[in-house]
Amino acid sequence: MPILGAVIGEDFAEVLAAAQQGGEAAFSRLWTDANPALLRYLRVIAPQAADDIAADTWVQVVRGLPRFRGEEAAWRAWLFTIARRRAVDASRRRSRRREEPLQDIPVALLPTTADAADQAMEHLGTRSAIMLLAELPPQQAEVILLRVVAGLDTDAVARLLGRSPAAVRVAAHRGLRRLAQILAETGVTL
Amino acid sequence: MTNFPWSARRVVSSTEDTAVAALLAGTELPADAAAGLRPVADVLAALRAGPASDELAGLAAAQAEFRRGVGAPEQPKRSPRRRAAGLASRLGAKAAAAAAAAAISLGGVAAAAYAGALPGSLQQFAHRTIGAPAGHRAGYDTPVGPRVPGPAAQGLCTSYRHAAAHGNARQKAVAFRNLVKAAGGRGKVAAWCAAVSRHAHSPSGPHSHRTGPPPGHASPHRTAPPHGHPSPHRTGPPPGHASPHANGPAAKHATEHPTGS
Repeated sequence: MPILGAVIGEDFAEVLAAAQQGGEAAFSRLWTDANPALLRYLRVIAPQAADDIAADTWVQVVRGLPRFRGEEAAWRAWLFTIARRRAVDASRRRSRRREEPLQDIPVALLPTTADAADQAMEHLGTRSAIMLLAELPPQQAEVILLRVVAGLDTDAVARLLGRSPAAVRVAAHRGLRRLAQILAETGVTL
Repeated sequence: MTNFPWSARRVVSSTEDTAVAALLAGTELPADAAAGLRPVADVLAALRAGPASDELAGLAAAQAEFRRGVGAPEQPKRSPRRRAAGLASRLGAKAAAAAAAAAISLGGVAAAAYAGALPGSLQQFAHRTIGAPAGHRAGYDTPVGPRVPGPAAQGLCTSYRHAAAHGNARQKAVAFRNLVKAAGGRGKVAAWCAAVSRHAHSPSGPHSHRTGPPPGHASPHRTAPPHGHPSPHRTGPPPGHASPHANGPAAKHATEHPTGS
Protein backbone atom coordinates (compact mmCIF):
# COMPACT_ATOMS: atom_id res chain seq x y z
CA MET A 1 0.00 0.00 0.00
CA PRO A 2 1.51 3.29 -1.02
CA ILE A 3 2.60 5.42 1.86
CA LEU A 4 2.07 9.12 1.89
CA GLY A 5 5.18 11.17 1.48
CA ALA A 6 7.15 8.00 0.82
CA VAL A 7 9.74 10.58 0.78
CA ILE A 8 11.90 11.13 -2.18
CA GLY A 9 14.85 10.16 -0.02
CA GLU A 10 18.26 9.95 -1.51
CA ASP A 11 17.05 11.32 -4.82
CA PHE A 12 15.93 14.48 -3.19
CA ALA A 13 18.94 16.67 -3.85
CA GLU A 14 18.90 15.69 -7.50
CA VAL A 15 15.18 16.23 -7.91
CA LEU A 16 15.37 19.58 -6.19
CA ALA A 17 18.24 20.74 -8.36
CA ALA A 18 16.43 19.68 -11.50
CA ALA A 19 13.32 21.53 -10.45
CA GLN A 20 15.32 24.60 -9.60
CA GLN A 21 16.75 24.57 -13.07
CA GLY A 22 13.29 24.53 -14.56
CA GLY A 23 12.67 20.83 -14.88
CA GLU A 24 8.94 20.44 -14.84
CA ALA A 25 8.97 16.70 -14.28
CA ALA A 26 11.13 17.16 -11.20
CA PHE A 27 8.83 19.86 -9.92
CA SER A 28 5.85 17.59 -10.53
CA ARG A 29 7.49 14.94 -8.44
CA LEU A 30 8.06 17.35 -5.59
CA TRP A 31 4.48 18.49 -5.85
CA THR A 32 2.97 15.05 -6.05
CA ASP A 33 4.97 13.95 -3.06
CA ALA A 34 3.91 16.85 -0.88
CA ASN A 35 0.52 18.10 -1.98
CA PRO A 36 -1.63 15.33 -0.48
CA ALA A 37 0.09 15.85 2.86
CA LEU A 38 -0.44 19.58 2.63
CA LEU A 39 -4.10 19.11 1.87
CA ARG A 40 -4.65 16.74 4.76
CA TYR A 41 -3.02 19.14 7.16
CA LEU A 42 -5.00 22.07 5.81
CA ARG A 43 -8.28 20.18 5.86
CA VAL A 44 -7.95 19.98 9.59
CA ILE A 45 -6.58 23.40 10.41
CA ALA A 46 -8.38 25.41 7.72
CA PRO A 47 -11.21 23.27 6.37
CA GLN A 48 -13.05 26.03 4.60
CA ALA A 49 -10.14 27.10 2.47
CA ALA A 50 -7.82 24.11 2.26
CA ASP A 51 -7.66 23.90 -1.53
CA ASP A 52 -7.10 27.60 -2.01
CA ILE A 53 -4.45 27.77 0.65
CA ALA A 54 -2.67 24.77 -0.83
CA ALA A 55 -2.67 26.36 -4.27
CA ASP A 56 -1.42 29.65 -2.86
CA THR A 57 1.28 27.80 -0.98
CA TRP A 58 2.60 26.34 -4.20
CA VAL A 59 2.60 29.73 -5.87
CA GLN A 60 4.83 30.97 -3.11
CA VAL A 61 6.98 27.87 -3.25
CA VAL A 62 7.50 28.25 -6.98
CA ARG A 63 8.68 31.76 -6.45
CA GLY A 64 11.09 30.86 -3.72
CA LEU A 65 12.20 27.62 -5.30
CA PRO A 66 15.30 28.81 -7.12
CA ARG A 67 16.86 29.95 -3.90
CA PHE A 68 15.77 27.21 -1.56
CA ARG A 69 18.67 25.44 0.08
CA GLY A 70 18.24 22.43 2.25
CA GLU A 71 17.56 18.78 2.53
CA GLU A 72 14.26 17.10 2.31
CA ALA A 73 13.28 17.67 5.92
CA ALA A 74 13.99 21.37 5.56
CA TRP A 75 12.00 21.39 2.35
CA ARG A 76 8.96 19.91 4.04
CA ALA A 77 9.32 22.29 6.94
CA TRP A 78 9.42 25.17 4.51
CA LEU A 79 6.30 24.03 2.69
CA PHE A 80 4.31 23.56 5.85
CA THR A 81 5.49 26.82 7.32
CA ILE A 82 4.22 28.68 4.29
CA ALA A 83 0.95 26.77 4.37
CA ARG A 84 0.44 27.40 8.04
CA ARG A 85 1.06 31.10 7.74
CA ARG A 86 -1.39 31.39 4.91
CA ALA A 87 -3.92 29.43 6.91
CA VAL A 88 -3.47 31.67 9.91
CA ASP A 89 -3.86 34.76 7.73
CA ALA A 90 -6.95 33.35 6.10
CA SER A 91 -8.56 32.51 9.39
CA ARG A 92 -7.90 35.98 10.70
CA ARG A 93 -9.63 37.43 7.71
CA ARG A 94 -12.52 35.10 8.22
CA SER A 95 -12.70 35.36 11.96
CA ARG A 96 -15.86 37.38 11.96
CA ARG A 97 -17.77 34.82 10.06
CA ARG A 98 -19.24 31.91 11.90
CA GLU A 99 -17.89 28.58 10.84
CA GLU A 100 -19.93 25.47 11.11
CA PRO A 101 -18.43 23.66 14.06
CA LEU A 102 -16.82 20.44 13.04
CA GLN A 103 -18.46 18.66 15.93
CA ASP A 104 -21.71 18.92 14.04
CA ILE A 105 -20.55 16.37 11.52
CA PRO A 106 -22.26 13.24 12.67
CA VAL A 107 -20.00 10.54 13.94
CA ALA A 108 -22.40 8.11 12.32
CA LEU A 109 -20.67 8.86 9.04
CA LEU A 110 -17.61 7.05 10.23
CA PRO A 111 -17.33 3.40 9.39
CA THR A 112 -18.16 1.30 12.41
CA THR A 113 -17.10 -2.13 11.34
CA ALA A 114 -14.00 -3.52 9.77
CA ASP A 115 -16.03 -4.66 6.76
CA ALA A 116 -17.47 -1.27 6.20
CA ALA A 117 -14.02 0.16 6.44
CA ASP A 118 -12.71 -2.34 3.94
CA GLN A 119 -15.32 -1.39 1.44
CA ALA A 120 -14.60 2.21 1.87
CA MET A 121 -11.31 2.68 0.25
CA GLU A 122 -8.25 3.96 2.03
CA HIS A 123 -9.46 7.27 0.86
CA LEU A 124 -12.54 7.21 3.01
CA GLY A 125 -10.42 6.00 5.85
CA THR A 126 -8.22 9.00 5.33
CA ARG A 127 -11.16 11.35 5.29
CA SER A 128 -12.52 9.76 8.42
CA ALA A 129 -9.17 10.07 10.07
CA ILE A 130 -9.11 13.75 9.22
CA MET A 131 -12.53 14.21 10.72
CA LEU A 132 -11.35 12.51 13.87
CA LEU A 133 -8.31 14.70 14.10
CA ALA A 134 -10.58 17.69 13.79
CA GLU A 135 -12.23 16.62 17.04
CA LEU A 136 -9.05 17.28 18.93
CA PRO A 137 -8.02 20.57 20.45
CA PRO A 138 -6.35 22.47 17.60
CA GLN A 139 -2.81 22.40 18.91
CA GLN A 140 -2.88 18.68 19.55
CA ALA A 141 -4.29 18.03 16.10
CA GLU A 142 -1.63 20.22 14.52
CA VAL A 143 1.22 18.57 16.29
CA ILE A 144 0.02 15.11 15.34
CA LEU A 145 -0.47 16.12 11.73
CA LEU A 146 2.91 17.76 11.47
CA ARG A 147 4.59 14.74 12.98
CA VAL A 148 2.67 12.10 11.14
CA VAL A 149 1.55 13.62 7.86
CA ALA A 150 4.22 16.22 7.29
CA GLY A 151 6.83 13.88 8.70
CA LEU A 152 8.56 16.58 10.69
CA ASP A 153 10.51 15.72 13.80
CA THR A 154 9.77 17.22 17.19
CA ASP A 155 12.33 19.99 16.87
CA ALA A 156 11.09 21.02 13.46
CA VAL A 157 7.51 21.07 14.69
CA ALA A 158 8.57 23.12 17.68
CA ARG A 159 10.23 25.72 15.44
CA LEU A 160 7.27 25.82 13.13
CA LEU A 161 4.78 26.38 15.94
CA GLY A 162 7.00 28.60 18.03
CA ARG A 163 6.77 26.27 20.98
CA SER A 164 9.31 24.28 22.93
CA PRO A 165 10.06 20.69 21.98
CA ALA A 166 8.77 19.65 25.38
CA ALA A 167 5.46 21.35 24.72
CA VAL A 168 5.28 19.63 21.36
CA ARG A 169 5.87 16.24 22.94
CA VAL A 170 3.20 16.87 25.54
CA ALA A 171 0.72 17.99 22.89
CA ALA A 172 1.40 14.90 20.80
CA HIS A 173 0.97 12.67 23.78
CA ARG A 174 -2.25 14.30 24.88
CA GLY A 175 -3.59 14.28 21.36
CA LEU A 176 -3.00 10.60 20.98
CA ARG A 177 -4.64 9.88 24.31
CA ARG A 178 -7.60 11.95 23.33
CA LEU A 179 -7.87 10.12 20.05
CA ALA A 180 -7.84 6.84 21.89
CA GLN A 181 -10.58 8.11 24.13
CA ILE A 182 -12.76 9.33 21.27
CA LEU A 183 -12.36 6.05 19.47
CA ALA A 184 -13.23 4.09 22.55
CA GLU A 185 -16.27 6.22 23.30
CA THR A 186 -17.72 6.15 19.84
CA GLY A 187 -16.84 2.55 19.13
CA VAL A 188 -15.26 3.49 15.84
CA THR A 189 -12.83 1.23 14.16
CA LEU A 190 -11.22 1.89 10.83
CA MET B 1 -18.56 2.26 29.03
CA THR B 2 -15.17 0.82 28.38
CA ASN B 3 -12.84 0.85 31.27
CA PHE B 4 -10.23 3.06 29.88
CA PRO B 5 -7.07 3.07 31.96
CA TRP B 6 -5.34 5.68 29.91
CA SER B 7 -7.57 8.54 30.73
CA ALA B 8 -6.99 8.05 34.43
CA ARG B 9 -3.24 8.24 34.18
CA ARG B 10 -1.55 11.49 34.89
CA VAL B 11 2.02 10.35 34.86
CA VAL B 12 3.48 9.18 31.62
CA SER B 13 4.83 5.72 31.96
CA SER B 14 7.72 4.54 29.90
CA THR B 15 5.48 1.94 28.31
CA GLU B 16 3.25 4.70 27.14
CA ASP B 17 6.19 6.70 25.95
CA THR B 18 7.39 3.85 23.81
CA ALA B 19 3.93 3.33 22.46
CA VAL B 20 3.58 7.00 21.60
CA ALA B 21 6.91 6.97 19.86
CA ALA B 22 5.83 3.95 17.84
CA LEU B 23 2.56 5.59 16.92
CA LEU B 24 4.24 8.76 15.75
CA ALA B 25 6.88 6.87 13.83
CA GLY B 26 4.37 4.55 12.27
CA THR B 27 6.14 1.48 13.56
CA GLU B 28 4.49 -1.47 15.14
CA LEU B 29 3.12 -1.03 18.60
CA PRO B 30 4.92 -2.92 21.34
CA ALA B 31 3.05 -5.99 22.54
CA ASP B 32 2.41 -4.51 25.95
CA ALA B 33 0.87 -1.34 24.61
CA ALA B 34 -2.58 -0.53 25.91
CA ALA B 35 -5.33 -2.05 23.82
CA GLY B 36 -6.96 1.32 23.36
CA LEU B 37 -4.01 2.39 21.27
CA ARG B 38 -4.50 -0.01 18.44
CA PRO B 39 -7.35 1.93 16.87
CA VAL B 40 -5.18 5.02 17.15
CA ALA B 41 -2.52 3.26 15.13
CA ASP B 42 -5.15 2.58 12.50
CA VAL B 43 -6.18 6.20 12.39
CA LEU B 44 -2.62 7.34 11.95
CA ALA B 45 -2.08 4.74 9.26
CA ALA B 46 -5.10 6.14 7.44
CA LEU B 47 -3.60 9.60 7.70
CA ARG B 48 -0.47 8.28 6.09
CA ALA B 49 -2.26 6.41 3.35
CA GLY B 50 -1.33 6.99 -0.26
CA PRO B 51 -2.71 9.91 -2.23
CA ALA B 52 -6.30 9.99 -3.39
CA SER B 53 -7.09 11.33 -6.83
CA ASP B 54 -8.68 14.51 -5.53
CA GLU B 55 -5.47 15.27 -3.70
CA LEU B 56 -3.58 15.19 -6.97
CA ALA B 57 -6.09 17.08 -9.03
CA GLY B 58 -4.31 20.41 -8.73
CA LEU B 59 -1.18 19.25 -10.54
CA ALA B 60 -1.89 20.88 -13.88
CA ALA B 61 -2.49 24.25 -12.29
CA ALA B 62 0.68 23.92 -10.25
CA GLN B 63 2.63 23.01 -13.37
CA ALA B 64 1.27 26.06 -15.12
CA GLU B 65 2.42 28.21 -12.22
CA PHE B 66 5.79 26.55 -12.38
CA ARG B 67 6.15 27.21 -16.08
CA ARG B 68 5.23 30.80 -15.60
CA GLY B 69 7.64 31.28 -12.75
CA VAL B 70 10.54 29.42 -14.21
CA GLY B 71 10.03 30.33 -17.83
CA ALA B 72 10.01 34.05 -17.13
CA PRO B 73 12.98 35.56 -18.94
CA GLU B 74 15.79 36.86 -16.79
CA GLN B 75 16.05 40.20 -18.51
CA PRO B 76 12.94 42.14 -17.64
CA LYS B 77 13.59 41.35 -14.03
CA ARG B 78 17.02 42.86 -14.05
CA SER B 79 16.14 46.46 -14.54
CA PRO B 80 13.56 46.66 -11.78
CA ARG B 81 16.09 45.08 -9.50
CA ARG B 82 18.70 47.66 -10.34
CA ARG B 83 16.21 50.40 -9.85
CA ALA B 84 15.25 48.84 -6.60
CA ALA B 85 18.82 48.85 -5.49
CA GLY B 86 19.03 52.49 -6.40
CA LEU B 87 15.85 53.32 -4.60
CA ALA B 88 16.89 51.39 -1.57
CA SER B 89 20.16 53.20 -1.35
CA ARG B 90 18.54 56.56 -1.79
CA LEU B 91 15.81 56.04 0.72
CA GLY B 92 17.31 53.45 2.93
CA ALA B 93 16.06 49.90 2.75
CA LYS B 94 13.29 50.28 5.29
CA ALA B 95 11.80 53.32 3.68
CA ALA B 96 11.96 51.67 0.31
CA ALA B 97 10.15 48.66 1.66
CA ALA B 98 7.54 50.87 3.23
CA ALA B 99 7.06 52.76 -0.01
CA ALA B 100 6.70 49.51 -1.87
CA ALA B 101 4.24 48.23 0.70
CA ALA B 102 2.16 51.38 0.38
CA ALA B 103 2.20 51.05 -3.36
CA ILE B 104 1.17 47.45 -3.15
CA SER B 105 -1.61 48.08 -0.68
CA LEU B 106 -2.96 50.66 -2.98
CA GLY B 107 -2.62 48.18 -5.77
CA GLY B 108 -4.91 45.91 -3.80
CA VAL B 109 -7.41 48.68 -3.53
CA ALA B 110 -7.06 49.37 -7.21
CA ALA B 111 -7.76 45.75 -7.97
CA ALA B 112 -10.87 45.83 -5.82
CA ALA B 113 -11.97 49.08 -7.40
CA TYR B 114 -11.57 47.62 -10.83
CA ALA B 115 -13.63 44.66 -9.83
CA GLY B 116 -16.35 47.00 -8.63
CA ALA B 117 -16.12 45.56 -5.20
CA LEU B 118 -15.55 48.69 -3.14
CA PRO B 119 -18.21 50.34 -1.04
CA GLY B 120 -20.16 53.02 -2.91
CA SER B 121 -18.40 56.23 -1.98
CA LEU B 122 -15.00 54.68 -2.35
CA GLN B 123 -15.94 53.26 -5.70
CA GLN B 124 -16.81 56.74 -6.90
CA PHE B 125 -13.48 58.00 -5.71
CA ALA B 126 -11.75 55.19 -7.52
CA HIS B 127 -13.79 55.91 -10.58
CA ARG B 128 -12.59 59.46 -10.67
CA THR B 129 -8.98 58.81 -9.87
CA ILE B 130 -8.12 55.58 -11.59
CA GLY B 131 -10.91 55.13 -14.04
CA ALA B 132 -12.35 52.10 -12.36
CA PRO B 133 -15.96 51.37 -13.22
CA ALA B 134 -18.35 53.81 -11.58
CA GLY B 135 -20.07 52.83 -8.55
CA HIS B 136 -22.98 50.69 -8.13
CA ARG B 137 -21.92 48.49 -5.43
CA ALA B 138 -21.76 44.99 -6.85
CA GLY B 139 -23.78 42.68 -4.67
CA TYR B 140 -22.61 39.15 -4.60
CA ASP B 141 -25.91 37.94 -5.88
CA THR B 142 -26.20 40.07 -8.95
CA PRO B 143 -23.49 39.13 -11.35
CA VAL B 144 -22.03 42.38 -12.48
CA GLY B 145 -18.41 42.77 -13.21
CA PRO B 146 -16.34 42.45 -16.32
CA ARG B 147 -17.41 39.66 -18.54
CA VAL B 148 -14.72 37.31 -19.51
CA PRO B 149 -13.22 36.70 -22.05
CA GLY B 150 -12.35 39.91 -23.76
CA PRO B 151 -9.66 42.48 -23.12
CA ALA B 152 -10.90 42.63 -19.56
CA ALA B 153 -9.55 39.12 -19.20
CA GLN B 154 -5.99 40.32 -18.95
CA GLY B 155 -6.83 42.88 -16.37
CA LEU B 156 -8.81 40.38 -14.41
CA CYS B 157 -6.05 37.85 -14.53
CA THR B 158 -3.64 40.43 -13.27
CA SER B 159 -5.96 41.43 -10.48
CA TYR B 160 -6.59 37.83 -9.65
CA ARG B 161 -2.92 37.02 -9.42
CA HIS B 162 -2.38 40.04 -7.31
CA ALA B 163 -5.23 39.07 -5.06
CA ALA B 164 -3.96 35.54 -4.89
CA ALA B 165 -0.62 36.79 -3.69
CA HIS B 166 -2.42 38.45 -0.81
CA GLY B 167 -4.72 35.67 0.09
CA ASN B 168 -8.10 34.82 -1.22
CA ALA B 169 -10.30 37.53 0.21
CA ARG B 170 -10.60 39.34 -3.07
CA GLN B 171 -11.09 36.19 -4.98
CA LYS B 172 -14.64 36.24 -3.91
CA ALA B 173 -15.29 39.43 -5.77
CA VAL B 174 -17.97 39.07 -8.39
CA ALA B 175 -15.52 39.73 -11.19
CA PHE B 176 -13.44 36.78 -10.16
CA ARG B 177 -16.46 34.54 -10.20
CA ASN B 178 -16.74 35.17 -13.90
CA LEU B 179 -13.08 34.45 -14.29
CA VAL B 180 -13.36 31.23 -12.36
CA LYS B 181 -16.33 30.21 -14.44
CA ALA B 182 -14.56 31.01 -17.69
CA ALA B 183 -11.53 29.04 -16.65
CA GLY B 184 -13.69 26.16 -15.58
CA GLY B 185 -12.79 26.16 -11.92
CA ARG B 186 -10.63 27.96 -9.43
CA GLY B 187 -7.83 25.48 -9.82
CA LYS B 188 -7.73 26.18 -13.54
CA VAL B 189 -7.51 29.92 -13.38
CA ALA B 190 -3.74 30.02 -13.35
CA ALA B 191 -3.51 27.93 -16.49
CA TRP B 192 -6.29 29.86 -18.19
CA CYS B 193 -4.67 33.17 -17.40
CA ALA B 194 -1.34 31.89 -18.64
CA ALA B 195 -3.01 31.16 -21.95
CA VAL B 196 -4.63 34.57 -21.97
CA SER B 197 -1.38 36.39 -21.42
CA ARG B 198 0.37 34.34 -24.07
CA HIS B 199 -2.18 35.53 -26.57
CA ALA B 200 -2.20 39.04 -25.36
CA HIS B 201 1.20 40.27 -26.21
CA SER B 202 0.05 42.64 -28.90
CA PRO B 203 0.99 46.04 -27.56
CA SER B 204 -2.05 48.22 -27.49
CA GLY B 205 -0.46 50.78 -25.29
CA PRO B 206 1.70 51.01 -22.21
CA HIS B 207 -0.88 49.27 -20.10
CA SER B 208 -0.62 46.06 -22.00
CA HIS B 209 2.77 45.44 -20.46
CA ARG B 210 1.03 45.00 -17.21
CA THR B 211 -0.34 41.68 -18.24
CA GLY B 212 2.69 40.13 -16.65
CA PRO B 213 2.63 39.54 -12.95
CA PRO B 214 1.66 42.82 -11.36
CA PRO B 215 4.33 44.70 -9.50
CA GLY B 216 2.59 43.98 -6.31
CA HIS B 217 2.89 40.30 -6.95
CA ALA B 218 5.88 40.06 -4.74
CA SER B 219 4.26 41.29 -1.66
CA PRO B 220 6.64 42.46 1.00
CA HIS B 221 3.96 41.74 3.47
CA ARG B 222 4.55 38.23 2.74
CA THR B 223 5.38 36.74 6.07
CA ALA B 224 8.94 36.37 7.10
CA PRO B 225 10.44 33.28 5.66
CA PRO B 226 10.71 30.15 7.69
CA HIS B 227 13.70 28.05 8.48
CA GLY B 228 15.84 26.02 6.22
CA HIS B 229 15.06 28.11 3.25
CA PRO B 230 16.11 31.07 1.24
CA SER B 231 17.08 34.39 2.69
CA PRO B 232 14.30 36.86 3.34
CA HIS B 233 14.00 38.64 0.10
CA ARG B 234 14.05 35.56 -1.85
CA THR B 235 10.72 34.09 -1.29
CA GLY B 236 9.79 36.16 -4.22
CA PRO B 237 11.11 39.04 -6.24
CA PRO B 238 12.42 41.61 -3.81
CA PRO B 239 10.10 44.25 -2.48
CA GLY B 240 11.82 46.68 -4.75
CA HIS B 241 10.30 44.83 -7.64
CA ALA B 242 7.42 47.18 -7.20
CA SER B 243 9.76 50.07 -7.68
CA PRO B 244 8.19 51.70 -10.69
CA HIS B 245 5.30 52.46 -8.44
CA ALA B 246 7.27 53.11 -5.35
CA ASN B 247 8.97 56.01 -6.99
CA GLY B 248 6.09 58.36 -6.91
CA PRO B 249 3.44 59.25 -4.42
CA ALA B 250 0.71 56.75 -3.81
CA ALA B 251 -1.78 58.57 -5.95
CA LYS B 252 0.51 58.37 -8.86
CA HIS B 253 0.71 54.67 -8.38
CA ALA B 254 -3.02 54.47 -8.44
CA THR B 255 -3.25 56.11 -11.79
CA GLU B 256 -0.72 53.82 -13.31
CA HIS B 257 -2.06 50.64 -11.98
CA PRO B 258 -5.22 49.75 -13.84
CA THR B 259 -4.51 47.07 -16.30
CA GLY B 260 -5.74 45.67 -19.49
CA SER B 261 -8.37 48.28 -20.05
